[in-house]
Amino acid sequence: MDDLHLAVVERAEAALDVAAALDFVSDPRFGGIAVFVGKVRDFNVGRHVVGISYDLFVPLALRTFQAIGERARAEVGAPLKLYIAHAKGDLGLGDLAVVVAAGTPHRAEAFRACRLAIEAVKHEAPIWKQEHYVDGDSAWSEGCSLCEASAEETHDTAGHGGHGHAH
Amino acid sequence: MKTRIALYGALREADARGYLELDVPPSSSIAELRELLAAHLREHAPQVNAGLVRISAFASAEEILHNHREVPEGVELAVLPPVSGG
Repeated sequence: MDDLHLAVVERAEAALDVAAALDFVSDPRFGGIAVFVGKVRDFNVGRHVVGISYDLFVPLALRTFQAIGERARAEVGAPLKLYIAHAKGDLGLGDLAVVVAAGTPHRAEAFRACRLAIEAVKHEAPIWKQEHYVDGDSAWSEGCSLCEASAEETHDTAGHGGHGHAH
Repeated sequence: MKTRIALYGALREADARGYLELDVPPSSSIAELRELLAAHLREHAPQVNAGLVRISAFASAEEILHNHREVPEGVELAVLPPVSGG
């Protein structure tokens, strides 16, 4: 659909582009745009991070982004353009990991759609983060289980934003 | 039947090729496939935490396949450990 831009971008080929996201969601109907930018930071759970590798199951990730876009559209009940792009491969400190932008007539819907989309990308899309530390060690981050028991638990308690852990 | 299972995240470390092939009896469920994979990892990839398979999902390129679903024939599957995007 031309009001959703959904992408996985190989870091070796390009960086994520916030200006392109703003441009995509801009529209004469829209007075509000909300953007979330996720970047690689230098410290996590007591360890100095020097980089992150992102692994994605690309076809299912794109289908998940599509489902998130459709859910956001149903939720906000207003005209919406939504941009979701996630990086893949080896990222350095300060690199952009994810960009979500939402354009709507008014700010409340833009914030709501943007928040819904980034939370869903983090909790539902088949994406894995491996942190690399200053001492040369690496570790895959603990994450959100997509399997049945955990999914049911999440849906019971989520109400979006009610997720009980810190990532 | 031979079923190929693509590996992601921490489970990639189970096989440098990025996938495994398991012999799966016809009409097996995803729950049964989960047991087969856990047993395979215990035997062939002891460095991987086989407990991770308990909290991983199985999927095709189109959708997550829950425990009661039948393993589809001739389709490459993926095993998805807990996710950590963003």
